Amino acid sequence: MTIQAKGLKAEEERFGWKLILPAIIIIASLIFYPIGYNVFLSFFDVKLRGPNTYIGITNYRDIITDLAFWHAVWTTFLYVIFTTIGTTLVGLGVALVMVKEFPLRGLVRAIILLPYIAPVISVVFAWQFFFDPVNGIFMHLTYEKFHLFDQRFNLIGSPQNAIIVAIIFNIWKNFPFSYLMILSRLQSIDATQYEAAEIDGASGWQKFWYVTLPEVYFVVGSIVILRVIWNFNKFEEVYLLTDNVKVLSVYTYFKAFTGTMDQGQGAALSVIQFLLLIGFILFYVKRVLKW
Amino acid sequence: MKRTTTLLLVILLVFLASGLLFAKGEQEKKVQPASIEFWTTETQSDRVSTIQALVDIFQGLNPEIKITVVPVDENDMPKQVAASSAAGNLPALAEFGSENAIDFGSSGLLDTSTATKIINSIGKSEFYAGPLKMLESTQSGVYYAMPYHGWIQGLWYRNDWFKDAGLNPPNTWESIEKAAKTFYQPSKNQYGILVGTKAEVYAEQCFTQIAISNKARLFDKNGNLVFNSPQMKEAIQYYAGLANYNPPGPQTWRARDYYIQGKMAMFFYSTYIMDDLALAEVAASSLTGKNFKELKGAQFDPQLVVHTSFAPIITHKQPSSYGVIVALGIFKQEKAANTAAAERFVKYLYGEDAYVTFLHMAPGGMNPVLKKIAASDKFMKDPKGIFEKYGKKKIEEIIAGLESIQRFGIVEGHLITAYGKIFSQQIIPQMIYKITQEKMDVDAAMNWAEGEMKKIVNK
Repeated sequence: MTIQAKGLKAEEERFGWKLILPAIIIIASLIFYPIGYNVFLSFFDVKLRGPNTYIGITNYRDIITDLAFWHAVWTTFLYVIFTTIGTTLVGLGVALVMVKEFPLRGLVRAIILLPYIAPVISVVFAWQFFFDPVNGIFMHLTYEKFHLFDQRFNLIGSPQNAIIVAIIFNIWKNFPFSYLMILSRLQSIDATQYEAAEIDGASGWQKFWYVTLPEVYFVVGSIVILRVIWNFNKFEEVYLLTDNVKVLSVYTYFKAFTGTMDQGQGAALSVIQFLLLIGFILFYVKRVLKW
Repeated sequence: MKRTTTLLLVILLVFLASGLLFAKGEQEKKVQPASIEFWTTETQSDRVSTIQALVDIFQGLNPEIKITVVPVDENDMPKQVAASSAAGNLPALAEFGSENAIDFGSSGLLDTSTATKIINSIGKSEFYAGPLKMLESTQSGVYYAMPYHGWIQGLWYRNDWFKDAGLNPPNTWESIEKAAKTFYQPSKNQYGILVGTKAEVYAEQCFTQIAISNKARLFDKNGNLVFNSPQMKEAIQYYAGLANYNPPGPQTWRARDYYIQGKMAMFFYSTYIMDDLALAEVAASSLTGKNFKELKGAQFDPQLVVHTSFAPIITHKQPSSYGVIVALGIFKQEKAANTAAAERFVKYLYGEDAYVTFLHMAPGGMNPVLKKIAASDKFMKDPKGIFEKYGKKKIEEIIAGLESIQRFGIVEGHLITAYGKIFSQQIIPQMIYKITQEKMDVDAAMNWAEGEMKKIVNK
């Protein structure tokens, strides 16, 4: 390579850097800086007024020795597992039905998307009104009209049901996303594959197992990882609907922004949450998505 | 004739002398020119305009004095006071809650001698005892600030139901429990009482009144935690018992809607509920009439205001009422003229016309701390006609709850600063939730709460 060509290449590289510099600045200031500062804060006793004090790993030690934290981890684990399985299976089931031809299919397909596109706050209020123990329609029908229960009860508020309600709510609200993704993949499966399977004498179940499932495998795999990330960090649905489902995000919020506002511990908690999630993603991408 | 002339002369002389003396006194009282600031926590624009109008009238009467009204959010008040104290330009006068008053007063920022002088000139006996007690400094008879208005919480109840059932008003532990039990008929979708059981502030407000009536305290006057006491345990057990007569599940203030719908016998609430009970347009948000006409209690009941009574004081081992007192405080000033101007303005604000105008900014929410104002005809005529719907006697009874108002955070004139953190961490509401909803044992829940409180106190 001549000196001139080398100079040209260096010039091009510099030009390339110049082009991506604005994006780097934006990403660094909006993503890397907050993450870095959060990690930095997690080693301090953060005071709202006055200087912060460096306390090493005390925040992490306090969190790990707190039973409430492990309870939050367990709750999050349950919540993420069941909501992810639920949204994926319901989405798959509905997509399998919706791929068939029937009258008014377009309208039904659109209606199914409603829970997903409705604002969380309005849907939460609707659920609360629906299940209100004194004035709600649910109690009116099940208790007053059909005598299915021997007394009125507060389905959403009761601590025994709260996590179940939060999971059902999440599945109901989010399955349309899985449905939409899977449906679009189903529609692109070549019909000749099914014809070939039929000629070979495959049953309905076998067609699903050997044709449909391999075709949608990677879509479902991607949906699962997205849902895990989203549901792991889910805050507003859980916080607004129920009182006492302390998943990690809600637990962090209470630590950092209510009462004594322990923002140092809040920062440490979000670092732990981040590490847990990254750990899972690395494992999943390697083993399931086989990237 | 001569005797008559002498008598006339004497009368004339006495008259002239007294006239001269009076004139001298007036000259002494003559106001020095001053320009002061009045910080108010009434930040809504309509309230600021009302206060400005009051200031304009005062300035018209006292042209030497200029007052600037500065609205300050109540949550920002401590921060703003700290900043302006550091800068050496504290306002002459400010309006803030009693907790703030004790905080500022014990930090030496407030002019207690002027405040005490004004209270004494109005007459201590003219005030309700509770608000004065909440503002008294560690030195008996010396006040950090002057109480100005406040709201009271208590039990609002269906007097017609009570009468039909032959029950006494719910103002003792026994009468409350008996009534709650009597009216709790869940099969008819009717409930006995509403006490807070969700882990929210409302639960603490309801519980405080019950606990104080049993002489249960969180702290002694030296700031030592005395939460885990037999009195506290008794109060918690009683409260948890009442919660059995609540509508199903964890409940908070919003369940007062069930009372407005005629499905509940009594509920804890502040005097801010008065317009919801009396005015159809305010009650509308608590009713379902707009969409579900056939539901029971869907329509506004104009008789509800007549059939509702208020029990502001609950008595067990001692009478107790709960509420918030807002005070006027005079900050220490370098210029005596500023203090004199603030004093003059405060006295004007306590005058019937200005006072009633101020209180009518929030009928029910702002109640007078002077007994004679509570009983005055002018006060009864609020712009929306809410008080007249209740009747004078009932209004006086409601406001009389100020007499024994108390808080956990103020013990014999000492502000327990750690209480603020216990309150904002909602430790007591969480404990109540654990007992009433998660069915945790009372001792275990109390131990948990005590542990959490100790973490704050020892920090």
